Amino acid sequence: MKPSFRHIKPLLLSGGNKNSRWFSYIGLCIGVLLLLCSIQMYVNLQQLLRKNSTHKNGYDFISIRKAVTNETMGSPSLNMFSNEETEELRRQPFIDGAAPLMANNFRLQLSAGRLIEFQTDFFIEAIDNEFIDTVPPSFTWQEGQSTIPLIVSSDFLEIYNVFAPGYELPQVSEATISSLTLTITCFDRQQQEILFNGKIVALSDRINSILVPKKFLDWSNSNFSTKPVTKASRIYLKTKDANNPELLQFLEKKNYRMNKDKTRFGRVKQVLQGVVTGLGIFGLMVVMLSLMLFSFYLQLLIARSKDNLRLLLTIGYSPSWLSKKVSQLFIPVYIIIVFIALAVAVVLQWAFFHYVMHDRSELSAIIHWSLPVVAALLILLSVITNFRMVKKLLYGFYKQPQE
Amino acid sequence: MASNIFDHMLLQVKNLLPAYFEETGKKNSETWGKDLSFSNGDRVKIVAPSGSGKTSLIHFLYGMRQNYTGNISYDATDLKKFSIEETARFRKNNLSIVFQDMRLFTAQTVWENLEIKRQLNPFHPPEMITEMCERLGIGNKLKSICINCSYGEQQRVSIIRALLQPYDILLLDEPFSHLDNANAEKAMGLILEETKKRNACILFADLERNEFFPYTRLLHL
Repeated sequence: MKPSFRHIKPLLLSGGNKNSRWFSYIGLCIGVLLLLCSIQMYVNLQQLLRKNSTHKNGYDFISIRKAVTNETMGSPSLNMFSNEETEELRRQPFIDGAAPLMANNFRLQLSAGRLIEFQTDFFIEAIDNEFIDTVPPSFTWQEGQSTIPLIVSSDFLEIYNVFAPGYELPQVSEATISSLTLTITCFDRQQQEILFNGKIVALSDRINSILVPKKFLDWSNSNFSTKPVTKASRIYLKTKDANNPELLQFLEKKNYRMNKDKTRFGRVKQVLQGVVTGLGIFGLMVVMLSLMLFSFYLQLLIARSKDNLRLLLTIGYSPSWLSKKVSQLFIPVYIIIVFIALAVAVVLQWAFFHYVMHDRSELSAIIHWSLPVVAALLILLSVITNFRMVKKLLYGFYKQPQE
Repeated sequence: MASNIFDHMLLQVKNLLPAYFEETGKKNSETWGKDLSFSNGDRVKIVAPSGSGKTSLIHFLYGMRQNYTGNISYDATDLKKFSIEETARFRKNNLSIVFQDMRLFTAQTVWENLEIKRQLNPFHPPEMITEMCERLGIGNKLKSICINCSYGEQQRVSIIRALLQPYDILLLDEPFSHLDNANAEKAMGLILEETKKRNACILFADLERNEFFPYTRLLHL
C-alpha cells in the first residue's frame, strides 16, 4: 500500500512567499505565450511568403547574367556563359546547383489564333525542370507531338493585361489562360514555316520567360538552327541563401548581375524571420527566467519545511517518493498556466487571421499543431526539472540528518 | 535484506567506536570495541551514565550517523553500504525507534503524527491508534496540537508511533525519561506486547536498570 499524501501536504505548505509564487506563475504564463506566439508568427510568415517565395524546398533560385559593358557590347558571345563558366559556378560551395537558360537559335513567331489577333517574333527558352517553381505533369514533349506545353512568366500576363485594352484585345485571367491555344511558327533552315500549337500549362513567378520542355528546344535547335547552341545568356542558381555575402562577393568579382528584386525580397524575409526568431528567443528566456523563479520559490518552500521533511525521512519515508509527491503538487498549476497561454494564443491567432489579415486564404484561423506539442513539452520539462531539484535537495537532507 | 516480519534478522556490531571517542573508550566497555550480535526475540538492556554515547549508539544503529569506526551490519549487509532508498525501506519495514528527544511534528495533532507513521507501512488499523492512546492515558489528547502537549504526553506519542509499523528490531533511547514509574510501566507493557507480536528484538538504552524490563541480556556501555 502506498502512503497517502493528505496528511503530509500541510507539513510542506506551511511556509513560502505567496507573492514570489504568483510572480513566477504570471512570468511563466507570459513567457509561454510569447514563445507560442512567436512560433505561430513564424508559421504564419512561412505560409504568407510561400506563395510569392523564390524558395523551393528551402532554396533560393536567382537568375544571373553578364553585365553588358562598352567593351563587350559588340561581341554577344562575351556576354554569354560558356560551359566552363557554368561548371565553375556549380563548384562553388555556396551554390547548390546552376542551370543555363537556353534559348531558341532560329526564327520563331507567336500568335494567339483567332481570339486575340496579334502576331509577333518571339523567343522560347528551356531549363532543367528542377529550377522551375511550377511544373505540372503535362509539361512534357515527345517527337511528333504538335502541341507544345508552355510555362509563361506571370509578369508577362500582367503586362499583356495592361496593354490589351489599348489595342482592343481581350484581357485574360489566370484561370482562362490555359484554355487559349497559341500558334508557334518555327522557321527552318530554308525559312519554311513549321506550325505547332502552344498550350499554357502553368505560370511561373520565378522565371521571366516562355519556357518549353527542354526536349523540344533541343530538338528544334538541332533541326531548324544553322549553328550549334552552346552558350546561355542567363543562368539560374540554386542556393540556400541568396543573401549570402560570399555569393554576392563572388558574383561581384565575376561581374555577374542578378535580379535585385529577388534578393531584396529575400532580405525583407530574412529581417522578418530574424525579428520573429528574436521574439521566440526572448519568449524562451522569459520561460527560463520564470522556471528559475519558480524553482527558487520551491527551494524556499523546501528550506522552510526542512525540519518536517527531515523528520519524514527519519521515520522511514522514501526521498524519491516524497520528491515525486512534492513535484506533483505543482503539475495542475503548470497545466493551467500553459493552457491559459495556449488559449490566449488561439484567440490571438483567430483575431490576427480575421481582423489583421482579413481571412487570407494562405493563413489558417487555427493555431499550428506545433503549439500544443511545445506546450506539452514545456509542462513535461518543468515537472522533470522540479522533480530532479526536489530529489537532490531531499537527498541532501538525508546525508545531513538532524542531530 | 529481510522485509517480512517472520524472517530472522541478525544485527551484528563489530569493534564499534564513535570516531570522536578515544581508543581507551573500548577498555572498560561491554559494547564499544566488542563484537556483538543480536537477533529476533532478544531483549537487550544497555545501561550507561550520561555522556557515554547511548544516543550515538542508537543513531549509528538506525543509520542516522556514520561517524564511527568498526562495522554495523544487518543480515550481513554493511549499514554504510545501504543506499538512501534502501535505508528508507529498511526503516519502513524492519527497524523502528523511539527517540530520546521525541521528534514529533510539533504543529500537527497527536492523531496526525501517528497516522503519518501508521500509513507508511500499516501494521495496525487506524482504530488501534485510539486504543493505544487510551491505554497509555492520552486518549483525550488525540486532537491536541503536539506543541501544546506536555513532554510526558509527547513521549507516549513517540512510543506509540514506533509501534505502528512492522519491525524486527526496536531501538529505545531513554524512552521513559519524562514519564513517572506507573506510566513507564504501562508503556513498557505495550512495547513488550507489540514486540512479541512481531517476534522482534529490543535494544533498550537507559541510564540505569529498569525493574519492569525483562531483559535477556545486559550490557554496560
